[in-house]
Order: sequence, then structure tokens, then C-alpha cells
Amino acid sequence: MIAAKDLSRSFDGRLAVEALSFQVPAGALCALLGPNGAGKTTTVRMLLGLLPPSSGGGEVAGVSLPATDRSGAALRARAGLLTESPGFYDKTGGRENLELFGRLYGIGPAPLRSRIEHWLRRLELWEARDQPFGTWSKGMKQRLALIRAVLHEPEVIFLDEPTSGLDPAAAREVRDLIAALRREGRTILLCTHNLAEAQQLADLVGILRRRMLAFGRQAELTAERPRLEVRLAAEAAPFATALRGLTSVQACEASGGTLRLSLNEMERNTPEVVRELVRLGGQVLEVRPVVPSLEEIYLRAVREEPA
Amino acid sequence: MTREVLLLFFRKETRDLRSNRQIWPAYLALPGVAILLPVLLLALLPILADPVRAAHDPAARLITELVSNDPTLHGATMQERLARLLLRDFGVFYLLIPVILASSAAALALVREKEQRTLEPILATPLTDRDLLLAKLFAAVAPALVVTWGAALLGMLAGALGAWWRIGALIAPTAGNVVGLVLLAPAMSVAAALIGLRISARFTDVPSATQYTGLVVVPVGLVLAAVLGRPAMASPLVGLAGALVVGVAALGLFRRNVRRFRREEILTRWR
Repeated sequence: MIAAKDLSRSFDGRLAVEALSFQVPAGALCALLGPNGAGKTTTVRMLLGLLPPSSGGGEVAGVSLPATDRSGAALRARAGLLTESPGFYDKTGGRENLELFGRLYGIGPAPLRSRIEHWLRRLELWEARDQPFGTWSKGMKQRLALIRAVLHEPEVIFLDEPTSGLDPAAAREVRDLIAALRREGRTILLCTHNLAEAQQLADLVGILRRRMLAFGRQAELTAERPRLEVRLAAEAAPFATALRGLTSVQACEASGGTLRLSLNEMERNTPEVVRELVRLGGQVLEVRPVVPSLEEIYLRAVREEPA
Repeated sequence: MTREVLLLFFRKETRDLRSNRQIWPAYLALPGVAILLPVLLLALLPILADPVRAAHDPAARLITELVSNDPTLHGATMQERLARLLLRDFGVFYLLIPVILASSAAALALVREKEQRTLEPILATPLTDRDLLLAKLFAAVAPALVVTWGAALLGMLAGALGAWWRIGALIAPTAGNVVGLVLLAPAMSVAAALIGLRISARFTDVPSATQYTGLVVVPVGLVLAAVLGRPAMASPLVGLAGALVVGVAALGLFRRNVRRFRREEILTRWR
């Protein structure tokens, strides 16, 4: 389980993460979305005990935050991290790189050898195992970094931009592996810019821009702010001006013969809007609620929050 | 876990050193000097101990006076006493070799990880700050000491044989030489490496870290060798006391390094 409670962190007086509170239950995959500089990496580092929070705390894999030197080590033994850049030794082969990190995670020589072989074969890196890491393609490097993150069989995995800069085929391979890890019951926190990736993989979604702008199950987030779409027989613009005067209408846009409205309360306010349109002489052809995509939710949340 | 981590980093860093063209020449050149210089000095004995030259050359006179005023130097001739002085005091050089080598390696230890972007994955492992710094320290000091001890062994052998060839007497290392080599040299190299590690943790690029380490360690090492080195070569007790003092200082430096090892600073400042 991952739990953050009022987690804040500032650098030289500048607040990078502010009062972050959220919880990812064991076995769930949470995608943390946010623009560059939103505080995603800082959040991961705090949750992994690499950075002490300025205030607040939490719990990851049964270890309380903020962590001490000792408890931080215990936490990192139960958690894996995929960093934004792979971070291996260029002149050393992939297998040897994994051996070094595996030993640092305290894995014994025999299980380490078999785990490395298992993962290298599974991710189709076995043939290249002894070639210097520096000669590998970006996709291969990222897969190797993912192996390092799971080699010690951690309960919790933090993935920081795992598909960043990968070609579509390599990105898909990495996504498939993340999905497989989730099926194995690992708790995963995935930091990404890629909304489609989050939509595809995540149980929970958090939108972060210094503070948590929205957090919840995808379905809950998208259901939170549905819109009403009304198709009219005539040009919709004149009706939009009139509807904006209603107290129940938060926003109204017209495009051709279609009106898109944000209402205070969808079910209660819809009849009122339709009545008003009919009263104004509009011929209503279709009325339907539209559930926004994750992308729309994200963009709306990020736009509303000052940088 | 610490022992295994020590060996892991030792193997890795030694391999890195072998492939680092800025560093490994020093691992060859300094021992080379340590082996050849005593022989060269012994070859110059007749010139250095020439009484005629001492009469009008102030430097030669100073050497003669130095030998005459040192009651611990015994020998049938001026040349033999001078040979004993040269070989004994050359032990100071064996104190400087590990200081230079260990501090150079330590200066690279963390900053190279930063440059290769391998430091964050290392910090993400269960290693504690103490484990990591101890492993890096060991990896910097152990090769430097092995090289120094090997060079000293060969240098002392060359010196003894050189003395036999030049003056017909075998000159063995003094007790001060042995204590210096076995106790004082490790203590000094550990202290120097700890300074290098501290600088390596703070800097973000290799050239700055190595230059700054050189600027700090070389003058301190030279002063220490000058103040402590010659007396320590003459008296094992002085060497022992010096090793104790430097050892305690090194322990304090290590504790300070661990306390001041800020993962956050390292993670957020290198980009």
C-alpha cells in the first residue's frame, strides 16, 4: 500500500509539492499525471525515502514516512524504482549490470542468476545480455531498467515515465509488462505524461500540479463532471447567449447546431435547459449527457490551476 | 551486507580505474618513481657526500650537517650514513603515494556516478549512506594501499641492493619506515579519500571535483608529510602517535561525511 498524508516539499523556499494526500491500496495501479515540473518525481522520491518531506508523512509497504536512514533502507528493499533515465554502466554488459544492482538489493547469487535469466528471456534481452549497455537501443535500455525495478520482487513499484522517448512498439512492450506486473498483485505508482497509457493501465488516477488537483478511480473522475450536448435544428449560437443567463448553467459553447453545456446538477438542471430552449423557439433534435475523457479532465484541471 | 557491498564496489571501481585514462597513469608513474628514485639517489652518493663539494656548495654542506647532527645515523663512512638518511627519509614518499592515489579515486567516486546517472538507482537500493560511503572509501583506499605497499616493497629491496652495490652494506628499512607504511600511510590515505569523497558528493562534474580535491589534498598531504613524515621515519613511536591522531581525525571525517551526505542535495543538484 502507498499512503501519503499532507506530504509537502519545498526547495529553497519554493514549494514543489503541497499537502499531498492520497492512498493506493495494495495491488492497485495508480497513474500520477501532471505537466513537467508538477512534482511527480519529487513525490516518488519522498515516497521511496530518498527525499525527506518538508512536512507531512505517509506509509509505503508498511514503512512510515518520513523514513530514517535505516527504515529508508528497509523501505527500499520492499520497493522498486524505474528512474526517468535508465542509469546503468555503459561499458558493462546488461547481465553484469543487473548482477551488480541485484547484489545491492541483497539477492543471493543463485536466485539472482536465475531471476536475471528469467527476466532477460521474458523481455527478449537474453541474446544481448553480454553486450555493453551503451550499445543497446533505448527500448532495450528501458526494459533492462524495468527488470532492475522488479528483480528483488518488491511489493511496491514506482515507475517514473517508463515509456518516455520510446518508439510505439517498445512503449507497448513496456506497457504490457506493467500490466502483467499489476496482474501479479504489485502495487504500482506510475508517473506519466501519457494520458492514453494512464487510461489503459490505471485503476486510480491522480492529477498533480504541485498539489493533487483530482484523485480517484477513472470512472469516478470522468463521471464527476459530465456535460450536456444538445443538437438543434438551427444555428445554436443565439441560444447559447440566452442560456448563459441561467443560474444552473456554468458554461455554454455553441458549435454549428450543437450546444455543449456544463451544468450545476446534470439530472436536475437538464429539463430546465430544454424547457428554456423550447420557450425560445428552438427545435431540439437530441439531448444527451457526454462523459468527458481522461484527457479532458486532465486538461481542465491543469488549466484551472495556476502554474 | 557491508562486506559484500565493499567487495562489489571494490571490483567495480577497480575496473573503472583501469579504463580511466586520467587516473591509471598515476597508478603506474608513482610506484615507478618509488622504485627507481632510491637507486638513483644512491647512484649520486659520491657527489652528495663529497667533502670538497661540501666546502663551497651550501646544499651539499647542509646535507653533510644533517647527517652529522643526526645521532641515529650510524656508519663507517659519510657515504654510508648519508645512504641510511636517504633511504630512511624516502619513506615519506610512501606516505604521499596512497594519499594522492586514494584521494584521486575518491574524487571520482560519486561524481562519476552522477555523470553516468547511476547514482539515483544506487541510492534507490537498500544501501544506507554509511554502507555506500564505506564501500566507496574502501574502493578508493584499498587499491592505493596495495599499489603503495607493492612499490614500497620493491623500492626498499632496490634501495637495499643499491646500497650494497654502492657502499657494500645492506641497509634495511627502519622500524619507523615499517610503522609509517603499515599504520600512518593507511590513516593518511583514508583521511585524504574522505576529503575526496566529500568533494565528490558536492560537485557535479568530474574535472571540478578532481581539481578541487587536488587543491585541497595535495597541500595538506605535503604539509602533513613534512611535519610528521620525517620524525615518523626516524621514530616508530612518532609514527604510531601520528597514525593514531590521523586515524581519529579520519574517523571524525567519516562520521561527518555520513551526517552530511544529503541524498536530496545529490539528487536535486546534479542536473
